[in-house]
Amino acid sequence: MRLPRLNTLTWIILFLVIVATGFSFVISSNTIDYNTEVKPIFNKNCITCHGGVKRQSGFSLLFRSEALAINKSGKAAIIPGDPSNSELIRRLTLKDPEERMPYKHPPLSDDEINTLTKWIKQGATWGDHWAYVPVKETPVPKVDNWFFGTTGGGSWVKNDIDHFIYETMQENDLQPSERADKAILLRRLSLDITGLPASTKLATFYLADKRNNAYEKLIDTLLSSPHYGEKWASMWMDLARYADTKGYERDDWRSIWRYRDWLIKAFNENKPYNEFLKEQLAGDLLPNPSDAQYIATAFHRNTMTNDEGGTDNEEFRTAAVIDRVNTTWETIMGTTFACVQCHSHPFDPFRQEEYYQFMAFFNNTRDEDTYDDYPLLKEYHQEDSVKFLQLKHWLHTTAPTRENELIKFVKTGQPAINSLVADKLVNSALTDTKWLVLRNISEARIPHIDFEGHSQLLYKYKSWKPGGKWMIHLDKPDGPIVANVSVADSKGSWKLSTIPLPVMHGAHDLYFTYQNAQLTNAEETGMQFDWFFITDPFPGKGIAGYDSASKYFTDLLFSRKATITPVMVENPSALFRNTQIFERGNWLVKGKAVKPGVPRSLGALPKNAPANRMGLAMWVTDEKNPLTARTIVNRIWEQFFGQGIAETLEDLGTQGIQPTHKELLDHLAWKLMYTYEWDLKKLMKEILLSATYQQDARMTKNAIEKDPFNKYYARGPRVRLSAEQIRDQALMVSGLLCEKMYGPGVFPYQPEGIWMSPWNGATWKQSDSCDQYRRALYTYWKRSAPYPSMISFDGTSREVCTARRIRTNTPLQSLTTLNDSAFIEAAQFFAIKMQVTGAKTISEQISKGYELAFYKQITKEKLMVFEKLYNNAFTRFKTDKEKMKLMAGIHQQKQDPSTAALVVVAGALMNLDEFLTKN
Amino acid sequence: MSKNHQRIFEEARQKQLELVTRRLFFKESLLGMGGMALGSFLSGCNWLGSKDTSGLVFNSDNPLLPQSPHFPGKARSVIYLHMAGAPSQLELFDFKPDLMKLDGQDCPQSLLEGKKFAFIRGVPKMLGPQAHFQQRGQSGAWVSDHLPHFATVADEVSFLKAVQTDQFNHGPAQLLMHTGTPRLGRPSIGAWATYGLGSENSNLPGFVVLTSGGKFPDAGKSVWGSGFLPSVYQGVQCRSEGDPVLFIKDPAGMDRDLRKASIDAINEANRISYEEFKDPEILSRISQYEMAYRMQISVPDVMNINDEPAYIHEMYGTEPGKASFANNVLLARKLVEKGVRFVQLFDWGWDSHGTDESLAIDYGFINKCRSVDRPITALLLDLKQRGLLDETLVVWGGEFGRTPMQENRDGKKMPFKGRDHHTEAFTIWMAGGGIKKGTSFGETDEIGYAAVSGKTNAFDIQATILNQLGFDHEKLTYQFQGRPFRLTDVHGRVINEIVA
Repeated sequence: MRLPRLNTLTWIILFLVIVATGFSFVISSNTIDYNTEVKPIFNKNCITCHGGVKRQSGFSLLFRSEALAINKSGKAAIIPGDPSNSELIRRLTLKDPEERMPYKHPPLSDDEINTLTKWIKQGATWGDHWAYVPVKETPVPKVDNWFFGTTGGGSWVKNDIDHFIYETMQENDLQPSERADKAILLRRLSLDITGLPASTKLATFYLADKRNNAYEKLIDTLLSSPHYGEKWASMWMDLARYADTKGYERDDWRSIWRYRDWLIKAFNENKPYNEFLKEQLAGDLLPNPSDAQYIATAFHRNTMTNDEGGTDNEEFRTAAVIDRVNTTWETIMGTTFACVQCHSHPFDPFRQEEYYQFMAFFNNTRDEDTYDDYPLLKEYHQEDSVKFLQLKHWLHTTAPTRENELIKFVKTGQPAINSLVADKLVNSALTDTKWLVLRNISEARIPHIDFEGHSQLLYKYKSWKPGGKWMIHLDKPDGPIVANVSVADSKGSWKLSTIPLPVMHGAHDLYFTYQNAQLTNAEETGMQFDWFFITDPFPGKGIAGYDSASKYFTDLLFSRKATITPVMVENPSALFRNTQIFERGNWLVKGKAVKPGVPRSLGALPKNAPANRMGLAMWVTDEKNPLTARTIVNRIWEQFFGQGIAETLEDLGTQGIQPTHKELLDHLAWKLMYTYEWDLKKLMKEILLSATYQQDARMTKNAIEKDPFNKYYARGPRVRLSAEQIRDQALMVSGLLCEKMYGPGVFPYQPEGIWMSPWNGATWKQSDSCDQYRRALYTYWKRSAPYPSMISFDGTSREVCTARRIRTNTPLQSLTTLNDSAFIEAAQFFAIKMQVTGAKTISEQISKGYELAFYKQITKEKLMVFEKLYNNAFTRFKTDKEKMKLMAGIHQQKQDPSTAALVVVAGALMNLDEFLTKN
Repeated sequence: MSKNHQRIFEEARQKQLELVTRRLFFKESLLGMGGMALGSFLSGCNWLGSKDTSGLVFNSDNPLLPQSPHFPGKARSVIYLHMAGAPSQLELFDFKPDLMKLDGQDCPQSLLEGKKFAFIRGVPKMLGPQAHFQQRGQSGAWVSDHLPHFATVADEVSFLKAVQTDQFNHGPAQLLMHTGTPRLGRPSIGAWATYGLGSENSNLPGFVVLTSGGKFPDAGKSVWGSGFLPSVYQGVQCRSEGDPVLFIKDPAGMDRDLRKASIDAINEANRISYEEFKDPEILSRISQYEMAYRMQISVPDVMNINDEPAYIHEMYGTEPGKASFANNVLLARKLVEKGVRFVQLFDWGWDSHGTDESLAIDYGFINKCRSVDRPITALLLDLKQRGLLDETLVVWGGEFGRTPMQENRDGKKMPFKGRDHHTEAFTIWMAGGGIKKGTSFGETDEIGYAAVSGKTNAFDIQATILNQLGFDHEKLTYQFQGRPFRLTDVHGRVINEIVA
């Protein structure tokens, strides 16, 4: 037989057709995969009406048990193995539009119906979403070319990562780019690891370093720089919604900067990620927690506190607890849990009650939306730190049984009962809804106090006139009197006092009555309370040193020589709160009581885990938790490449964008846990050592066409810098940067009129000296009016957790770097830096400036552009002395047309795309 | 969008950008045409996908491209006048003669049981209307003597007298009004509108915010924030004192020509970088610098009210150079005229508790009324005479209402007459932009305590504003955290009773 003569191309096509047909046959006879083939059809067409939110006709496709159940029509929608009797298939194929599903929407395609039919025939097995299954070890694909082998990946790959990347590159007919040049890599690495460009010293060293492992050594140097911690802390601060104010209307100051410093140190110490999380979630529940471990828990004290008059404190306490739940999920487990507040998750396997079970972990801390942000950890300084040690020592030797209780109270002020819990107010009030006040002939109740046999009430109060008679009645307004106090006049300032209590057990209501004949009218305030502490008399009376020790105790409670930080402190059993479901998410409509627990679909608490935040922390950091490692790997990848392996950092669930390299994500997540034992620097180093990361970022026509968003990584990352990096780089390159670390928020230059919170007289007072030029992460962050240049470059107000900043490119950004005084000042210093390098001619000075910013030679073409700008400016400034002086800046001896013109050039250099971008 | 489409789109966008940036870019008209050409090309491609299902796609390189809404909207722009602190409906529009009869009497228990108030404790006294009322115009709308000018244009507006909320604190209530939730983190209505419509004037922001009264609204900048939408959609605060927009002024010593030369140099160097990197993001940056340069002229120009004729100043009661509500209202008109889509005004100081003179219903409140009466009236008349009222929706209101009871903070008698925050009924009015003239919808009981019919809420107001702009509020969505979010969440009804 003679075959028809066909040209080669036709043969190839024919061959491909045969192969393709064969493939499709193979695929069609294969098992239908629930996750990739079935679930997308359900999510797109069905689940809005038959899912976690709505269950039309009682039918839901969220869980297998629900989907197989007999629904309202009396039939089962899905009978495994029997598609022809499955109501689901029947309803999808009907002709009557009233009966056919999806109701009032276009019918499913034949392909889709076939898939579902086959799937039911095969048993309708449910699959778990990839991100909800514990991480398994993922083998590394081989990159050797077996087909039409051209340039093999073998010579390109440097480590495991590249195997995964090369594989998808091949699938998409892409070739890797060359390695970027040294100067580019230096700047890229330095910005990625430390958030700053490399110092001139480091640059000189690296560019001259001819060793084979120079690049690796550079990574090591940068990872051990103290600036490393600053860069990664600033990333975490978005997640932790770190701010220096409380939020809401008054948006007053809050002292929580010690938490920011804790973050910097934790990153710099390379604290294993599991411990890093455990301390933030439950540091206070560790045995004998250190100050640092308490401060770590400020992670969840970054929730807002509402000081607005007339607010219900319980409402905002609840809001804070809910925020902790949502933030925990979004930050640590890349999952949007917030929608489960009101109903079961529409797409993912989370039931509504599981939200509240999870909330129960967080519902038993002492914070109650108090004005002072209690509980506060006090770190004592100077003589008060000595007093503290002496007190501790005295208690340790004299009254060891009381040491823990009293030291904890001195350090955290807990467990105290805040006066804002008072109710049954008769001519008394919660003033500004913050503190209980009593007036002449008034009553109030402090409900449900468990005395646990203690014999003393220590309380903090204010009064304005002598003559107050305060009585405490047990359980009824006219119940037995347990205390009768002649209140000492504190002349309007806070004071501590104690009263003895009869020994009582169990929970009781305390009814207060108060009279003071010296109050001139019924509305004058006689007495105000802050908190009450049920305790016993200070121990050791009669023993030498008692007087000074008990005085130290009181002094320390009022210490002004202490740094305070809001922290988490768990409720003692006497103050335990029950957690109930909020019906449809409404906190006022409480349903069934729940116990702490984690969603069933994500495993269970580890065996030895207690049912509190510590247990929760153990579950979160357990290797079996499917989300924790994947989330942090994804996040670190995003920091280096500008996008996550799964783009939606905030949602790895079925509605998130599917990862481009799922196997790589799993591979790295496994390695982080089992090989690196949660060591983040090791993980980062592996990514940075990959050939993938080191590629040149230049785009080819082919690459733009095939992969405009660089999802297959056939080129290096090219991404605009973050708001923080843009400021820090300007300071570094100009030589203005103050490298001081830690401390309270600072106030760099800010235009007038940014701060205008109601009922808040605070003003922006510009810091002096070095503090004006600190890195961006130290800038005081006011939630209702954040630092303007941060906001223009996509910084957030930090009111809630931000898992991902969306980059924009706007004229307001251009105006900021062109005109903000902070950048002008940087340009002025940068110009002088160019001059003092020893470069004589203007061309040399400009070239030097370019080199300082980019570590490489300026091209002739670009040099000409800036020379032209210089000459233009110089001519103007020569004739206009006034303008020249203004532009040249503050250096008296440098006020000449040449400097002024160079400032203009410096400003332009600092506005270049390549300056604002990681190349 | 299919892969192929995406590729074609990318190619087109890049070509367009290359083309545009090569032009003599300071010729505004040319660029304007470039932008338009790109816009029409893209809409021809239907690159946004079908708007009535999945919402819009964020295009990071030209996020403010003018876009057409779901259906032709009656309003082209919105001016939203928010009286922060919540003005008393009982002294302005909701006339309750029966409340006068109860003045000074104890509030009946039935009105207090099971209710929560921000500051009222125990049993307060009732407080009769502290203003004289008259019926106005053809519609016979009740407007008090506190607003003598506004009374003359009452026939232009639709009153909503039974607006309700469930938030009785300022911050949360303002957030609910503007972002659809009492908590923080969601985009504001202006951001949603800008996201949906883009900006008509590429030399001005699409969403402008102006504040007066010496303070920001209680909820801070979040009431004009972009929440989870890209930050480009947040309101841009313009100021009548200092720089009209932050960093709009060239640094000291740099004149316009030199600024132009420096932007020329920056863009020229960027163009060289583009040749090297071929990153389309560089072309975007070039056009953003050009736009920044143009904004430096157009913003101060539109923010300058000195050149307005004397009769306009007279009409609005403006005083150039000062920060005032009147100035802001005039600016709002100018901005809308130039194609700004959403202008949001906040005037602080309406929280008439009676705690001091400035916050007294019988003192400070009257002054506040005086300060807004002329400008608001002038705004309606001025828009009308320019033929802009039909396409500009004006909304006036607060975040909640005020109690028919006199406030007794902490159970005490107050130094001045005041009213506490009230959630159960308050008045908002709308005018222009396809809203009926001279109507009133919703009623309260005989003492103005509770809404009895025609109840509306923040979601309904939002749905109506979006409707007037041409959006189905249920379909203007943004994919975030795995689900489509919308301004009105799962609520909201267009108040068709006031739609013309």
